[in-house]
Amino acid sequence: MSSVFVGSVGLALLLVLLLMRIPVAFAMFAVGFIGIWILNGLQAATGLLSSETFALASNSELIVVPLFILMGNVASATGMSRKLYDAAYATIGQVRGGLASATVIGCGGFAALSGSSVASALTMGRTALAEMDRFAYSPRLSTGVVAAGGTLGILIPPSTGFVIYAILTEQSIGRLFMAGILPGILLLTAFLLTIALLCTLKPELGPRGPKTNAREKGRAFLGAVPILAIVVITIGGIYSGMFSPTEAAGVGAALVILIGAVTRTLTLRVFWDAARSSIVTTASVMLILIAAHMINPFVALSHLPAEVSRLLVALDFGPFGTLVVILAIYLVLGCFLEGLAMLVLTLPIFMPVVLQLGIDPIWFGVLVVLTLEMGLISPPVGINVFIVKSVARNVELLDIFRGVLPFWLAMLLTLALLVAVPSLSLWLPSMM
Amino acid sequence: MMLGRVHWLADRLIGLSAIVGTLGLLFVVAVIVFDVVGRNFGAPLYGSQDLITMTMVIIVFGGMSLCDRDGGHIVVDIFENTFSPRLNRVIDVVAALLGAVIFVLIAWTVWQSAQLSVLLNLATNLLRLPTARFQYALCIFSLITALGMLLRAVSLMLGHKAAGAA
Amino acid sequence: NELKYANWASPMHTIVAAQVDPLAKALDEGTGGETTLRSYNGGELGAGPADQFVRVLQGTADMGWGVHGYTSSQFPKSLVLELPGALPLDQPGYAALWRAFPDELAQEYPRTEVIALWASEPNILMMRDKEVHSPADLKGLKMRVAGSISAEAMEALGATPVQIPMTQVYNGLQTGLIDGVISGASVLSDFKLNEVVGSITSGPNFGRLTFYTVMSQGAYDGLSDEARAALDTLKGEEISRMTEEAWVATADEALEAARQADGITVLDLEGDEAQAFNDALASVTDAYVAEVGGEAALAAIRGE
Ligand code: NA
Ligand code: NA
Repeated sequence: MSSVFVGSVGLALLLVLLLMRIPVAFAMFAVGFIGIWILNGLQAATGLLSSETFALASNSELIVVPLFILMGNVASATGMSRKLYDAAYATIGQVRGGLASATVIGCGGFAALSGSSVASALTMGRTALAEMDRFAYSPRLSTGVVAAGGTLGILIPPSTGFVIYAILTEQSIGRLFMAGILPGILLLTAFLLTIALLCTLKPELGPRGPKTNAREKGRAFLGAVPILAIVVITIGGIYSGMFSPTEAAGVGAALVILIGAVTRTLTLRVFWDAARSSIVTTASVMLILIAAHMINPFVALSHLPAEVSRLLVALDFGPFGTLVVILAIYLVLGCFLEGLAMLVLTLPIFMPVVLQLGIDPIWFGVLVVLTLEMGLISPPVGINVFIVKSVARNVELLDIFRGVLPFWLAMLLTLALLVAVPSLSLWLPSMM
Repeated sequence: MMLGRVHWLADRLIGLSAIVGTLGLLFVVAVIVFDVVGRNFGAPLYGSQDLITMTMVIIVFGGMSLCDRDGGHIVVDIFENTFSPRLNRVIDVVAALLGAVIFVLIAWTVWQSAQLSVLLNLATNLLRLPTARFQYALCIFSLITALGMLLRAVSLMLGHKAAGAA
Repeated sequence: NELKYANWASPMHTIVAAQVDPLAKALDEGTGGETTLRSYNGGELGAGPADQFVRVLQGTADMGWGVHGYTSSQFPKSLVLELPGALPLDQPGYAALWRAFPDELAQEYPRTEVIALWASEPNILMMRDKEVHSPADLKGLKMRVAGSISAEAMEALGATPVQIPMTQVYNGLQTGLIDGVISGASVLSDFKLNEVVGSITSGPNFGRLTFYTVMSQGAYDGLSDEARAALDTLKGEEISRMTEEAWVATADEALEAARQADGITVLDLEGDEAQAFNDALASVTDAYVAEVGGEAALAAIRGE
């Protein structure tokens, strides 16, 4: 039995288990564990299970997960996010889908800062979904916006995806950061156009709000001042070097708690419930991340990505054809694997080919990270979608995937545009 | 009745581990605030990374059993309405049993790692917090989670509707 | 029979060409292709340098490499070599480690066959913008440190030690979260810090980093006679020397590139200027050696 065969059967089995309503994390644990057992022995399987579980549960960079959830929970319990959305509604509520547009910008900004689309989906999911619901926005639109919005962050510096790509391929981090800016703006524009289009075709997705006068706008804005102040302090703190993006999660949570306590909107009871519910969501999200790290070594041991890539590269489609094929492989792998793991598994195989064909590695980097982010929202293993599901339990997963689909298509179009016009990625770094 | 007493015990254990996990989360917020403020005045909190990484184990696994009891595990529910109630019941039992096996396995393998940690004298770099202690904690939290799953499987097989099952 | 080598760094990292490839070649040739060595790069068999020793013991990989400083509690005596002033900068670290290995260090590597022990190029200070000529220049600056030894060294020099993951150092230097990093020059190229570093200070003996490669005892004992003989031709000082020389060559290249770069000033301190740092750091070394009972290890490392 070849290892590639075992790998393929394993991924097929994963798909079946998922569709059979086995919890996502359990299915990944089971397939990963048994797959590693077959390919590398029981000792390796038990060894990886323990080391991956403990390593991820004690990963200092993942502390942002519980902290941002806490921040989101307290902000909604104290009504701070409600006031933020009141302000947004008073300002752009008259536009169809206006709140969705505001949310997508918020998600992008949040992900850009935290460097993590997962953290963005968690925090914004907590607050934005309930708020948009309050203004009669369809859950299909709001969950789609939150799941997709976070993917903007990887193109806007600082981006973990670019740092890893740069280290793996020996490219300049600075040039990659520059290269991501225009595509990031382009993708944001594509998302905004998608929202506008959806709401024009189906106005009930994001209904128009009443007209407001300057005084109402002013009052709504005033209510949002505390939460806006927290946002400004957090952003300023990161860019001025007061604290790291990871620590910003803790500072943000502390500030929300502090303001809640000072304004007496946060009682001890409410505070405790918010904190307790934070660790429940944390457990659900972290278990999926841990389980994903059982699938990664299984797929590595099966040599599946290496063999598929070699085969396709050997077919020799010329520079443009090869580029398209490579991106297609990333799209397919992205359905199952976590993004950064995919980079590690595949770049060593693709990079020499890419360089040999004269494809600009900076341009390639932009295309690859964008494709990886698409994986976060593509079925069956769409981590961002699962995260939105974890905070929007009453919305069916299929509805979230349906809601995400238009944004996935917008990403695909953006990707096509970036492939067709390399200077969109390469113009800014060439100014350096 | 015996089963009732086990349920009562499991509920207490789940509540207790959630309290420990929640306190861990609040502790980490405090650590980060002290560290950030201190550092900008030239006096960072010594070993803050050590405290954060090890407390995180408590946060993540402390909430695990409560997450399971609240039906917090994410499932792909696309075909839920297509399946017969009987099939859905069977799937719920299988999922609960599979989860119990996984968490017992996690507890067992991490227990073995903890023994290796003792052998190698592993500890955090600055504060020398012994790694094994946090691995043992993870084992205990995992076993409580497994117990909860096992009880749910039993209840489902006996025909009760599981409280809050996903 | 395929042996698995766990490499948590990228496939382009020095370790692959300098160590994994030669070991693989020796095994392949010595056994006529019966025993091979395959490198699983980029943490495919589990991420990060901290858990590699455990992964080898657990059988996830047959062989793997790690950084002593990430699990410093396991290697109190091996880490003596990392101390400022433990060994003159012009002497190779691998030879010193192997001198001390049989009597002083071996018990720190239970249930394994130690394949290689080596050291990095000397530590230097890589600063965001501030030029550091004397310990006083470091006062109050936030310096990224890798472990407890460099943390204490920075405190002894009046700086504030900051612990952040290596992958966050680039952004940290850019925003001013940290003012500098103490490490070997290879991070300039490995982590692209050359893009955000403005000034480098070398010359004082800031110590160095140490590394190990181990193979599980079970895997080693299970090798065929030919495979074990092939591995033994390189195992120990020989492969350690090859690895360390490649390490230092990478670092020299990175430092030379920094000297040529417009945006980076390299200060090579000598004589009294360097001595001022060495004097300030002597107490850190003495205190550490006393704390771990490392007098004999230090003597063996120095060849005394
Ligand atoms: Na970003
Ligand atoms: Na996916």
